[in-house]
Amino acid sequence: MKFQIEDVTVYFPYENIYPEQYSYMIELKRALDAKGHCLLEMPTGTGKTIALLSLITSYSLSKPSNPVKLLYCTRTVHEMEKTLAELKLLHNYQVKHLGPSARILALGLSSRKNLCVNPAVVSAENRDSVDAACRKLTASWVRALAAEDPRVSTCEFFENYEKASSDAVLPPGVYTLQDLRTFGKEKGWCPYFLARHMVQFANVVVYSYQYLLDPKVAGIISKEMQRESVVVFDEAHNIDNVCIEALSVRVRSQTLEGATRNLNKMSQEIERLKATDAGRLRAEYNRLVEGLAQRGNLPISDTWFANPTLPADILKEAVPGNIRRAEHFLSVLRRLVQYFKGRLQTENVEKEGPVTFVASINAQVGIDQKMLKFCYDRLYSLMLTLEITDTEEFMHIQTICDLATLVGTYTRGFSIIIEPFDERMPHIPDPVLQLCCHDASLAIKPVFERFQSVVITSGTLSPIDLYPRLLNFNPVVSRSFTMSLTRDCICPMVLTRGSDQLPVSTKYDLRSDPGVEKNYGKLLLEMVSVVPDGVVCFFVSYSYMDGIVNSWHESGILKEIMQHKLVFIETQDVVETTLALDNYRRACDCGRGAVFFSVARGKVAEGIDFDRHYGRLVIMFGVPFQYTLSRILLARLEYLRETFQIKEGDFLTFDALRQAAQCVGRVIRSKADYGMMIFADKRYSRHDKRSKLPSWILSHLRDAHLNLSTDMAVHIAREFLRRMAQPYDKTGAMGKRTLLSQEDLEKMVNGVSDMLF
Amino acid sequence: MSHKVTNDEGMQFNREEEEENDDDGDGMDLDAWERAYADERSWESLQEDESGLLRPIDNKTLSHAQYRRRLRTTSAARVQKGLIRYLYIIIDLSRAAGETDYKPSRMVVVARQVEAFIREFFDQNPLSQIGLVTLKDGVTHCLTDLGGSPESHIKALMGKLECSGDSSLQNGLDFVQGLLNQIPTYGHREVLILYSALSSCDPGDIMETIKKCKASKIRCSVIGLSAEIYICKYLCQETGGSYSIALDESHLKELVLEHAPPPPAIAEFAIANLIKMGFPQRAAEGVVSICSCHKEAKVGAGYICPRCKARVCELPTECQICGLTLVSSPLLARSYHHLFPITPFDDVSPSVANDPRKLPKNCFGCQQSLLNPGKS
Repeated sequence: MKFQIEDVTVYFPYENIYPEQYSYMIELKRALDAKGHCLLEMPTGTGKTIALLSLITSYSLSKPSNPVKLLYCTRTVHEMEKTLAELKLLHNYQVKHLGPSARILALGLSSRKNLCVNPAVVSAENRDSVDAACRKLTASWVRALAAEDPRVSTCEFFENYEKASSDAVLPPGVYTLQDLRTFGKEKGWCPYFLARHMVQFANVVVYSYQYLLDPKVAGIISKEMQRESVVVFDEAHNIDNVCIEALSVRVRSQTLEGATRNLNKMSQEIERLKATDAGRLRAEYNRLVEGLAQRGNLPISDTWFANPTLPADILKEAVPGNIRRAEHFLSVLRRLVQYFKGRLQTENVEKEGPVTFVASINAQVGIDQKMLKFCYDRLYSLMLTLEITDTEEFMHIQTICDLATLVGTYTRGFSIIIEPFDERMPHIPDPVLQLCCHDASLAIKPVFERFQSVVITSGTLSPIDLYPRLLNFNPVVSRSFTMSLTRDCICPMVLTRGSDQLPVSTKYDLRSDPGVEKNYGKLLLEMVSVVPDGVVCFFVSYSYMDGIVNSWHESGILKEIMQHKLVFIETQDVVETTLALDNYRRACDCGRGAVFFSVARGKVAEGIDFDRHYGRLVIMFGVPFQYTLSRILLARLEYLRETFQIKEGDFLTFDALRQAAQCVGRVIRSKADYGMMIFADKRYSRHDKRSKLPSWILSHLRDAHLNLSTDMAVHIAREFLRRMAQPYDKTGAMGKRTLLSQEDLEKMVNGVSDMLF
Repeated sequence: MSHKVTNDEGMQFNREEEEENDDDGDGMDLDAWERAYADERSWESLQEDESGLLRPIDNKTLSHAQYRRRLRTTSAARVQKGLIRYLYIIIDLSRAAGETDYKPSRMVVVARQVEAFIREFFDQNPLSQIGLVTLKDGVTHCLTDLGGSPESHIKALMGKLECSGDSSLQNGLDFVQGLLNQIPTYGHREVLILYSALSSCDPGDIMETIKKCKASKIRCSVIGLSAEIYICKYLCQETGGSYSIALDESHLKELVLEHAPPPPAIAEFAIANLIKMGFPQRAAEGVVSICSCHKEAKVGAGYICPRCKARVCELPTECQICGLTLVSSPLLARSYHHLFPITPFDDVSPSVANDPRKLPKNCFGCQQSLLNPGKS
């Protein structure tokens, strides 16, 4: 269908549109017109992605003189593929209606692991080793060597790509990762480098958050994007954590040992080079005198790591004299590693700011702030000179330099925390030195500044006024949309009491109470006997889950649960969890029924959908607060209070509730689906907690369901499941229009245009 | 007069109290007040409207409308229907059938509805046959083989009402599939499953069994008693059956009875077939003869197979000796109603109906009074 929003003709590939999609597009259009940033919350399963894509592409089609570019950021490769598939559908529709002039180039960009077609390289087990294997074949000196000596192997795809040089372009169209690989294989061109090259010319680029937020990567990939771009962060409820993660570094004793090994190897190399090819070292020295490596002139295959600080912070000055010579630089690094080793030997937890940390480095090992700041670039330059291709092996020294540069650059928003052992296991010494970033706005600031519009969207962004404060920006539009449903297909409940009417909670003083554990067990037992197929349980932490499952096992509750459903548990091991999930799905499919025990903030809670029969009920046991005794968290809370005036309690509750909402939101992924959500903790009934849930959950949370005991909840569940199993009318009769056709929209625009609001 | 009424009420009250006391003695370890809370749920029959007022739940009109709509859709188009049906009813008697959300328990309610269904079924499909199968302790038990006599089925069903263990959908389907496979091709193979449990403990891969059922063209329908189960939905989708969930007892009744009229025939199955049938004469009045169905000498009314002259007791049946299908013409005629349904009646406004001159007072068929429906 096609319709007008103000001056833009929107091409939408489906026959009907949901009213909330329509209003979402209107808000988005306003934000684009105002060239500002926006924050939009809309529940999953309402077609957020297609609404976004069709509006932005139509917007850019309607302004052919100044088309906007779309940078779409997703969290996972799976989401990336889904987005591209939708875009393909949309693109076909637009081309059908507008002819070939509507053709655009859209592609996904991912790591080598996902794009490589060279069978020898892609067989490596993880991302880093694929990267390293690729560099071994494509680095410029390797290729130069191969030109002389045919025994040195290179990658034929990359060679072909280089040979084709400017002819190597992608014809317009939408390319998923699979399409890129097929195209690459067909032409014999390396799809990874082709995609990286084409990103500059593409109309739509779909890639991961890191390509924009992590300064190490963003410097390479996203440097040449034009200002007239729309950046979309999808599923962005955790964007602050991603930002912080991008600028945080942790150093363990293994890292330091590895770094020492790296340094030894490098000094051997230098000795060797001195004997054979002293000229190269001298050339590097001269280059450093002039200023840092001119990265722009290097061939693209060599740009494999960039400065971890933000582009604005890189000073255009020469490397300090005392680290220009390779031996000198190595000895500086040696002293630094030695200093870190000394610091790790502490018995107490230490916490200091970057300024004092730098001062103490200067006092003890004589490295000043400016030298620290240049560590990363200097190392980069040295590794190029030494022609080191195995970046995986040299990961450790990179981490050290990363930390040094960050500490040398920023004076605010960070802190150094040294912990001699894990708080939860005080008997095992496991010293760790962490550089924690507290300010999410640091990493995302350049994105807001460089691009005309940034769209942050997710199913759970409540409370919506907190995000602008955390990320320090001013949205022109911030709106939360609810779902229009033909029937009440979600049933949230707050369970405050067990079957014996005693309160249940995972509050610290109550959590190990056997009565509470028993009540939680009884709740699950009752629920598995009335809910068909899949049930998902989320616990607040791994240790709590272990404890409670253990006690259920001892009291025999687990055995009774097993009579109704099979039990699967998420562990910290990814492979094991994947296997468990797979079997869980099979048990749901074949009618045996299954329960999945999972942890809030875990991998499963973030990325796995439990839609349809895979999750008819999700129980959130307790409120998933962060581990409040963690030093990192305490430091961040202090920073937030001082800088943004956000109260500790507010932030903790906000964070816990968004995790809870994220967990329970797993259960419903489309309008035709249905599911129940139980918040099993008495604290959820309090207004300050409850009000932070997203509005699409709140609007279904009836007052009668706020203070339930187990037996009442079981009864409600029974009724709900029976009601939902009845056949229903999908288009929504009885005056509740949930699907709008083109005519409806036209009528709406001509008549009362703000009927929706 | 009034005095007497109060007296009666008082007596009734006493009797109820006594009954309750009796119940307490039956080993129910809940206190009376607890039971009222857990079982009766008097508040359930109330619901809140938009303005917050309480009013009794009005499910009847809703479900009635639903029923009417369904009737209309089924009778609207003239479709080919299978008249000779071979239906197995699988009744789940696992642990879940003992639950008391239906009063007095799910299995009793189910048995009651199945009884009504069997009678209705034979009334509407006189040429068809039913078999009963139960699922218990993960094993399939065959209560009755395929047969055309409602009484024997009902007797077998009522005798065997106890529940335990898990239920296995796969075992049940495998068993029934083996039996239905032997049915001649003109008969329509159907399975109706009344499923109380929410899971199925299977020994093997149920998907294979579903494939087999699909291959042997068995139409499987499921009526669930508590909630939608994926595997049942999948089974019905694959085999072309219907899947429905009962809200309460009356809804369950409706859903079960929906299966009484023959379903539309499966397309590739709908080739016209000629079936050899015998129309036996009612004979041998007062003569002692050996009955071929009971294997004993009987006196009195019976039917003689026109081909081999064996005696059978009731129609319809299959001759034990020569295998000929034996029916009577009224039975055949009754089955034909499904193929050529009566056109829906026109509603007549009450004013016209009350005018005695225009309309006859009695139904011309059964002589019931049209003016006061319900009273003759």
